[in-house]
Amino acid sequence: MRTIEFTDTEFMIAQGARLIEDGKTIFVGWGIPQVVAMLAQKLYVPNVTQLFEFGAIGPQSVLPFVRGTMGGPQNTYRSLQWLDMNWAFSYSATGYMDYGMLGALQVDPYGNINSTHLGGTFASPMRRFAGSGGGNQVASHCWKTIIVIKHEGRRFVPKVDFLTSPGYLDGPGAREKAGLPRGTGPHRVVTSKALFGFDGETRKMTLLSVLRGISVEEVVKDMAFRPLLAPEIGEIPPPTDDELRVLREEIDPDRFIIRGEKMSATA
Amino acid sequence: MTIDRIRTEGEMEYRFTHPDDFRDHVRDRKGRSPVPKLVTEKEAVAAFVSDGDYIVYDFSSLTRGPQSLIREVIRQRKKELWIGAEFTLHESPLLVGAGCASRIDVGFLGYGNYIGQAVCDGRVKAYEWTNGGLALRILAGARGVPFLPTRDMLGSDNMKVSAAKTITDPYTGDPVCLVPALNPDVAFLHVHQADVFGNARIFGTNLFALEAALASFRVIVSAEEIVETDEFRKDPMRTTLPYFLVDAVVHAPFGAYPGAMPARYEIDLEHVDRLNAIRTDERMGRYLEENIYSVADHDEFLDRRVGAKRMRELRRRATIIEGYR
Repeated sequence: MRTIEFTDTEFMIAQGARLIEDGKTIFVGWGIPQVVAMLAQKLYVPNVTQLFEFGAIGPQSVLPFVRGTMGGPQNTYRSLQWLDMNWAFSYSATGYMDYGMLGALQVDPYGNINSTHLGGTFASPMRRFAGSGGGNQVASHCWKTIIVIKHEGRRFVPKVDFLTSPGYLDGPGAREKAGLPRGTGPHRVVTSKALFGFDGETRKMTLLSVLRGISVEEVVKDMAFRPLLAPEIGEIPPPTDDELRVLREEIDPDRFIIRGEKMSATA
Repeated sequence: MTIDRIRTEGEMEYRFTHPDDFRDHVRDRKGRSPVPKLVTEKEAVAAFVSDGDYIVYDFSSLTRGPQSLIREVIRQRKKELWIGAEFTLHESPLLVGAGCASRIDVGFLGYGNYIGQAVCDGRVKAYEWTNGGLALRILAGARGVPFLPTRDMLGSDNMKVSAAKTITDPYTGDPVCLVPALNPDVAFLHVHQADVFGNARIFGTNLFALEAALASFRVIVSAEEIVETDEFRKDPMRTTLPYFLVDAVVHAPFGAYPGAMPARYEIDLEHVDRLNAIRTDERMGRYLEENIYSVADHDEFLDRRVGAKRMRELRRRATIIEGYR
């Protein structure tokens, strides 16, 4: 029995990378989702086609990860096609994007994302953040949206302070009623402790599995809403040696992205 | 369209021009004759940017952004600008910090605490169009139509804090989002190559370079390199903008500094970290003084604040040239 030491961020990125399917397309948001897609492409899914919102189609980003930017030569290296934003969102709007992957400030039981402000009102917020970027389009158009978010209780709220990018809005059928493309919506919520899906009937967030060694109670106790629980809660292994090596040596040697709270679990 | 088809309407003010008014401007004010338009940043901004103007730019603060033009706008202390901000990591905080911008259509509101605090304090108004919505508004402006429909923004709070509308689509009967055309007063586009008439080339991805040039009343191109017109005629697939869209051409080597120009020079991360670390008005003031107000123009900025050695180093780091030429 061997103990693996890692950060909560490393676990979040690694378990996110394991979800991506080979031979599919994925619309990748700015920041952590870029790193998840890089790790996945390097270790698991050589034939995934990534798409960035400014029109990089099929990039094979150069490692190490260049933080802060997305549009530079490193991140758009050896793309299949270089275009612009109106064309990029055409690929998602017509249904060619299997997955979308986004970060979030807050998420609610229906997978609605807030990335605009916390507290106060829109006109007079307590704290103001970047806003949608292209997240609204990704969450609206892609067949399955994966949300990547740190497992901090205050981020899981009964109702988001501002609905930036749509999940299932206020329940079953709401997306279609609002005019969003049929059959789309949030698919998984990847956190630094657990993995959630969405119940097919109620569209509510459902705990699917937890990091090995963590109890269900530990995962749900500080969330501001109680998620549904899958009939059987799975166990997610910690980051593998390969995942940690690629993250630490190849993707982020300066540890700008992967630093975080220290954790351990048995391999 | 009858009014009862409108289901929801955003409440915020928005910039709008009737397509015929824009066409009149193009007929009467945009020259078709290929005349040399080479001017300095100072001349271009003085002639083509006025207080109260709506400005858009392409691409991002870290990649091929029109930074020398933005700095000149600040140097000339323009006021009450309204900016369409997509990948605006540094332009928004600098323009707001310098007292130049009072309204921002977002996009993506970067970067960090300074601009966020300015919104909280009510020093600048932000309206939420989303990146896709703003790009579509500019496309509508470029297509000469008053609006375009889209199947996003729907169901989100962005609908309320923009001027997007939901209507019943006359073809499907489903709800659909409409965004109004945007015809900015000025577009700033930093390009790899231009000729003196305004034909211009960008290598790599962009946000909406051609759409912004078509949709805007005035277009200022800044170029790393000035080339002969024949270069465009030899390889017309690579032309991003034809000359008649462009009002002024500025020769601006290192015009995207401290961001990168793909295949020409890399990001100056140290300088970018200094920008990202600005949290207070005092720090903002010091940055503006040192890098903008205390130098006469872009050449002097490069010469005295960046330096030949640093520029050589940033050029040396731009090792990826595949795909760019």
